[in-house]
Amino acid sequence: MMRKTLFIVAVALATPAAAQLRLPHIIRRPGQPQPLPPAQVQPGLQQPIGVLRTDFATQAGGTTAYFMSGSAELSPQARTVLSGQSAWLRLHPEVSVRIEGHGDSNDTRDHALALGARRAEEVRNYLMLLGVPAAQVSAMSWGKERPGAPRAVTVIVPSGGPAGVAAGGQP
Amino acid sequence: MKVVRIGLALLAACAGGAAAAQQPGAATATVIAVPPMTSPDTGAKGNEMLAMAWQATQLIATDLRQTAEIMPLTPDRKDYYSYPEVTAPTFSKWRDKGAKALLTGFVQSRSDGRMTVGCYVYDAEKGRELGRIGFIVAPSEWRRAAHKCSGLAYKAITGAPGMFDSRVAYVAETGSPGARVKRIATMDSDGFDHHYETPGGTTVLTPRLSPDASRIAYVSYLGGIPQVRIIDLHSGEQRPLIGGTGMSFAPRYSPDGSKIVFSMMFGPNCDIYVVGANGGYPRRLTTAPGIDTDPSFSPDGSKIVFESDRSGSQQLYVMDADGSNEQRITFGGAYASPDWSPDGNWIAFTWRGGGVRRIGIVKPDGSDQKLLTTGPADEGPSWAASSREILFQRTDTSARPGLWRIALDGSEPRKMTIPQDGSDPDWSGAMD
Repeated sequence: MMRKTLFIVAVALATPAAAQLRLPHIIRRPGQPQPLPPAQVQPGLQQPIGVLRTDFATQAGGTTAYFMSGSAELSPQARTVLSGQSAWLRLHPEVSVRIEGHGDSNDTRDHALALGARRAEEVRNYLMLLGVPAAQVSAMSWGKERPGAPRAVTVIVPSGGPAGVAAGGQP
Repeated sequence: MKVVRIGLALLAACAGGAAAAQQPGAATATVIAVPPMTSPDTGAKGNEMLAMAWQATQLIATDLRQTAEIMPLTPDRKDYYSYPEVTAPTFSKWRDKGAKALLTGFVQSRSDGRMTVGCYVYDAEKGRELGRIGFIVAPSEWRRAAHKCSGLAYKAITGAPGMFDSRVAYVAETGSPGARVKRIATMDSDGFDHHYETPGGTTVLTPRLSPDASRIAYVSYLGGIPQVRIIDLHSGEQRPLIGGTGMSFAPRYSPDGSKIVFSMMFGPNCDIYVVGANGGYPRRLTTAPGIDTDPSFSPDGSKIVFESDRSGSQQLYVMDADGSNEQRITFGGAYASPDWSPDGNWIAFTWRGGGVRRIGIVKPDGSDQKLLTTGPADEGPSWAASSREILFQRTDTSARPGLWRIALDGSEPRKMTIPQDGSDPDWSGAMD
């Protein structure tokens, strides 16, 4: 089962020892998108986003990477979460995600915006390093508009929807 | 909103007037008498103009009472004077009441439906005129004329421009924390003429008025990420500042209104750029790795102060307007969101330390630093046109932000009255 193999590869990468990460080779997929497991396809046709989000949150082991205050550096725990996310995303190449970076609540408005963008960018880069295609992942910052812990949340977005916000901030 | 200045030249008192400039922190305010303004008109028209004059007189007293430097005597209708006495007041009467200064004026109807408003400010002790000002305005614009008269008195007594006829832009906030509805709002600095400039559906941040208060540069999530947009307040038209899909934020106009400085993010790096106020191709001003943001021009447009975390913490830097000659001016702690004062003498900032944010000021060379507020969640200072007062955002213990103003004289900050919560205030210069 190709699905299982991929998962094992991703988990191996997820261990903290992944400090000396090698770039995983990009897995070329067949032209047509992989079908979802039947159990998910049936309701998925009606409310695909809700089902996908639930599946992502449970299968990937979490939607959120947490950061130290003032920092955009990925902790070992955050890397573990992102490895789980990358495994799921590689199994669902038809699903687009947006990384929503958040600044610190006690920061000033504009520095928080920039720091949130840095965190989102850091997460996006790490997912790409783990083999998730760049086009599948966009990034944005909420600054301190959504109070909470310093974090970056991976959010599944409707296909063809506002996920189209260019990732990485290229003009 | 057009106020036509008529032939009365403003002859504001220069240094040397008896009502000398007050030092910030001075214990005594200059007492000014503001008896009810008069009218040369008679009959029904005269009554109408006198009613208008009484409203204007009370507004002027209210304006001046808000300052740290001037204390108006409460206007009393019994102190009515005739039209000729506008320019020939009985100074001894006001000296006896303890006034050092006197403001007189008139409101006169015109055949075109508009009216003439004239104001005079005197040194009551020496019996000398300090300044005069006059306008032809539509009846609906009487407030602006009165604010201009307040400004005349403020300038004659303190030497600093009055900030009474000025606008404030801010972000009006409603809804629960985490799901705030944010709209750009504008109002007179005393809270009148309040308007919402954007609908609530899209998150908006940091409105910055153009020097003539005719446009606002602000940040909008309309395209899914934060980007600078411009609102034309006359036409209501809105447009992006620059093309492209990158993240841009922290806009501010140059003092002549011709340029806008702002931040753009590329990957993990955030730099400061400048572009024409009507758009065009942005020019990069900073190159250091790190987050460079919140640029603010000096009043002569020759320099820019900004914050950068290139050293490891947010600190303030001053550079020439072309990006050369960067110099760090703060050390230790963290300093953010600088705003250069209109008189050029100070830079206001948000200080961060131990989870607390406070408003402070520092000279552009980094000397004479002081903190003005105690926090714990103050940020986003914006200067009054007088350079003697600062408007800022204070978030209370229930996480609700409001707009507060504090004078440099060490008095307590005061909360502004607005229809809902508010953040990211920006105070315009005095309008002409």
